[in-house]
Parts: sequence; structure tokens; C-alpha cells
Amino acid sequence: MGRGTGASAGIGIGKAVLLKEEELLITRKEVEDTTAEKERFARAVEQSVSDVSALAEDMAKRIGEKEAEILNGHLMLLQDPMMTGEIEMQIENEKICSEFAVETVCTMYADMFASMDDELMQQRAADMRDIKTRMQKILLGVKSVDVSLLPAGTILMAEDLTPSVTAGINPANVAGIVTELGGRTSHSAILSRALEIPAVVAAAGILGEVKDGDELILDGESGEIFINPDPAVKAEYEEKRAAFLKEKEELKKYIGKPSTTKDGVTVEVAANIGKPEDVDRVLAYDGEGIGLFRTEFLFMDRNEMPTEEEQFEAYKKVAVAMKGKPVIIRTLDIGGDKEIPYMGLKKDENPFLGYRAIRFCLDRKEDIYRPQLRALLRASAFGNIRIMVPMVTCIEEYREAKALVEEIQAELKEAGIAYNPDIQVGIMVETAAASLMADVFAKEVDFFSIGTNDLTQYTMSVDRGNDKVSYLYSTFNPAVLRSIRHIIECGRKEGIMVGMCGEAASDPLMIPLLLAFGLNEFSMSASAILKARKYITEYSVEELKAVADKAMSFVTAAEVESYMREFVTA
Amino acid sequence: MIWEKRGYFVMVKAKIKIKNPIGLHLRPAGILCNEAARYDCSVTFKFRNTVSNAKSVLSVLGACIKCGDEIEFICDGKDEETALSAMLRIVDDGLGE
Repeated sequence: MGRGTGASAGIGIGKAVLLKEEELLITRKEVEDTTAEKERFARAVEQSVSDVSALAEDMAKRIGEKEAEILNGHLMLLQDPMMTGEIEMQIENEKICSEFAVETVCTMYADMFASMDDELMQQRAADMRDIKTRMQKILLGVKSVDVSLLPAGTILMAEDLTPSVTAGINPANVAGIVTELGGRTSHSAILSRALEIPAVVAAAGILGEVKDGDELILDGESGEIFINPDPAVKAEYEEKRAAFLKEKEELKKYIGKPSTTKDGVTVEVAANIGKPEDVDRVLAYDGEGIGLFRTEFLFMDRNEMPTEEEQFEAYKKVAVAMKGKPVIIRTLDIGGDKEIPYMGLKKDENPFLGYRAIRFCLDRKEDIYRPQLRALLRASAFGNIRIMVPMVTCIEEYREAKALVEEIQAELKEAGIAYNPDIQVGIMVETAAASLMADVFAKEVDFFSIGTNDLTQYTMSVDRGNDKVSYLYSTFNPAVLRSIRHIIECGRKEGIMVGMCGEAASDPLMIPLLLAFGLNEFSMSASAILKARKYITEYSVEELKAVADKAMSFVTAAEVESYMREFVTA
Repeated sequence: MIWEKRGYFVMVKAKIKIKNPIGLHLRPAGILCNEAARYDCSVTFKFRNTVSNAKSVLSVLGACIKCGDEIEFICDGKDEETALSAMLRIVDDGLGE
């Protein structure tokens, strides 16, 4: 039995093939004729470039442009004049063989990248090692294992899979992938997901426990690995695999279908995103809108404030891509818990109860809030953007933000710059105060979006990250449910849209309650959309009202949860 | 553009802000380098205390340029003016992003 990190969902069943990279013996050999040696090196580079170009082209055709980019990156590195120049200089000055010069120079660059703080830079270290090995193999005349020739039903196992190797993988033959190293964001994980091959990474020590030909089962979600499982386990997983594939096919049918219950209640199923690039997945999974576009990414990982122009481009990009479907953009929700040197934020003693989000933004109108709101308003001319204010506790906060929006609208009008004059400005309802005052807020704001993650923490007074008390964090706690129900009722009374962007919106045990309470919009991670839509279409809101009443009669979270579990699995 | 007398060619330089969302990572760096490689003159850029060779992806990556950082291009050689305009233009166009 082995364990790793699930990197690509699905069940893989087959026979193990251990991909062992031949140990290349690199020794420092002296050469007389440095000119001939440099020639030899140049030809090896040429061959490498030609091989990788062919692989990249094949990958672009079979899988996609985006995945092939990794190999295009290798091409750039292989042809980098600084690197090839360095290697040639080493050959010339030290009078050594190409293999050794390649080893020295490439390792130096790999180490340089590995030592950088940036995750992307660290991945470049793996790229450098991959091309180093490629060039050395050509120089030494060592052949690589051809993965495209693997037999059907192979579970490919390796210490790590380089992009070059993964490029050759044929999903028709490879039923699963297991690596000892890597993580969810390494090349092998990304490519496995693109190829839809179940994969488990970071399975430390697994290669020592498995030999060629062993029967293997892997669960690409849980990260479990079974070696030579007994027939009962095998049968169980074969069933799981069939169910997984069947569900995948079934869910595809929900693309393009409306999110309407059996008794004709239509809701909106939308997506939460953290950066503009995520829009592709939203469209692929048929999201009806974006219920939460987090804007913090614009402010993090950089040395200075993003300009209004930069922000405008990012917001516009998403608005345009969503072609008129609603895009709810949350204004900056940041505080003393994040490291942002240029903002001049001191570390808060109590970050979640401190100087953050709207409190921070209203205090920094000139240099932070204004530019963001201006960028949002300018972008509103290009799509259906709605502005959402986070962490509101008092009505004055909303009024102040709304006034600022109106001020900027007047400025833009004066300057003849396009914007949406009817832009909706709503709030995240995530604090106890906002929930208790929901009736007052509902009269003034344009919409609500319930942030169940923070709402649960603030209501239960619990830090979900604190192991000692995280058991108290539960959306099923009657206090939280009462709060949610109250918020939805107040919103509906005033005829404003009430959405939810916390994890609860995609929870199959919560969806029946939310439908019964009258939630209008369910926003979640893109991959959960089709499943949520499926559940919604299987219920009738009228029938759910009795279920909700019963659920709300309990006084402990455990009772509510077990009742909902019973109802859903029936 | 600032002009400085240096050898037979006048060296030209200009500053510009990088607007790529995650800075100069592999893909935009590659586009930058491919363009710089087209010119005979040397194309380098300064950022804080480091000078990087714009024709080398490794050199550009090593500079760790993030979104919003301002770099100063320096072109020195036969086609330096054409090169400088071209570099400023592709950075302004977003380096493919």
C-alpha cells in the first residue's frame, strides 16, 4: 500500500512499468582538439533542438498549444547564447569534453533557479536538468526509452517525469502515472490532467516497493496506491473506475442545460475565479457567470502598486471573455496577514478582526480604492461587471463606497470616458453584523453574496486553521444556517439577488437547503459546476421546503448533517 | 532617449515599465529575447543594480523582473536605434500576453 498526492482524478488499474533513467556516467575527459569538440557540441545542440521541436509540434496537435509551451520553453533554453557560449568557453579554456562542460554549466543554472523564491523559477531548474540530460544522451549515444511503445494497461512509474518523456505518452496505453517526486503543479501533474490520465505524485519511496509487472491500482483523487491488490479490492476499484468514467460522461450532458429545478425554479450556477486566466475553465465548464472574481492577485507578488491601467486591462479581459454574462468583482480584500511590502501595512495582531478589506480601502481612498474603482468602472463599458464590497459590517461603509462610485462616474462622464451608468454595487455578507442587519442592507444594496467561509468563522468565533477548535467550523451549525436563511429572506423581501460564493454553494448536502431557502445564485470552483447543476435539476423546491423545516428544527450541527446525509443518499 | 558618446557608436537608452501580469517569466522572456537577437548591436537592460543580456533567456530570467518594475534598455552598435524602438514597442504591446 502506498500513498502520495492525488494529481489527476480517476482510477488507474494496470501493470507497473518502472521507467528508470539510465545513470549517465559523466567524467572529466581531456580533449586535444577543442575546435572539433566544439563542433561536436554544436551538433548535439542541433539534434536536441530538432528532437524537441518535433515533440512540441506533436504535443500541440495531440494535446494543446498550452501544454506544448513547456517544450517550447526548452527550445528557448537550448538556444540561449549565454548558455551555449559558456559551454563552448569551458571546452576551449579547460580543454574538456562536451559532456562535462554541459554538466558543469547546466547544473550551475539549475542550482541558480532552484535557489530562487519563485515557484515558476524553481520549475526552470527542472527544465535545465531535462535539457542537460538530453544533450548528454545525444553526446554519449544513449537511447531514451520510447514511452509511445508501452503496452496497453501500463501504469507508468518514475522518480519524476520530465516534459520530454510525458510528451510521448499515449493515453491509449498508459492507464495511470505514479511519480516519487513532484506536486500538483509540476509539469507531470499538469500534463496528466490535460491527457486525463489518473496520476499520483509525491509518492515517496514507492519505487522501492514495486517491480516491473506488479499489478497496480491508483486513485488519482485520494492519492492511494494498491500494490498487487487482492481480488476483492480489485473488483471494488474496477467498479469505482466505471462509476467515475460514467459520471464524467453524464456530467457533460449538463453543458448548455439551464439550472432549473423539477418545479421550474431557475437559479444561476456560476464560478469563483482568482485570476483572468481562470476564465477559460469557466467557459469550458459552462459557468453562467462569475459570482466572485478575487482581485488580490493584482496586488500580490510585486514591488509596487498596480496602476489603474493594469487593473483596467485585467477586468476588461474577463468582462469581454464572459460575453455579457455577469461578472461580480470583489474589491480588494487584503489585510495584515499578507506580506505586501509596498502597501505599508503593519502586521495586525488579529488580522481577521483588523485593518483589512473595506476598512483598509476606505482609509486609503486616494492611492488604493479610487484607482481600483475607476478601473472597474471603465471596464464596465465592456461587459456585465458588478462591484462587490467585502467584509462590510456597517451601512455607512456601503454608503461611503457607493458615494465614491458615483463620484467617479461623474468624473468619467465629464471626461467623456465610457462606463456603465447602471452598474450594480452589492456586498459580501460574511460578518455577523451584516447578517443581523441584512434587512437594512437589503433596502440599499443591489445584491448580496454570502461568503460562507468567513461567515461561519465569525459566527462560530472559530479559526478553521486551528486544529484544536476547527471541529466547531461547520456550515451545518444551526447558528450559521439561521444566519444564511435570514440573509436570503431579507434579500428576497426587497427583490435583490442573493448569491453564495463560499464552499457551501457546491456542497451536495447544502444545496437542497439553499434551494429551499430561495438562494438565487450558486458560485463555486469551475470544476464543480456541472455536478451542482445536475443536483439542482433533480430537486423540486416545493418538496424541499419540508426537508429544510426539519433540518432547521435540530439544535446541533451533527444532527443537521446526518439528517441531510440521510436525505441525499436516499 | 538619452544619448551618450561612446566609441564609434552613440549608445541609446530608454526606460519602460513591464506590464506582464506575472512579470518576465519564460514565455514573455522568450519573446523579448527573440526580438533582441534580431539585431547586431548589443541589447541589454538595467534593473536596480543588475545588467542583463536581453538576448539570453537565462540572463533575463535571472533578473527576476516582476509586473510594474521599470527597466532601462541599452542598445549599443550598428542598428541601435532600430533595436531600441523595437524593444520598447514589444514591451509596450505586452510581450505576447
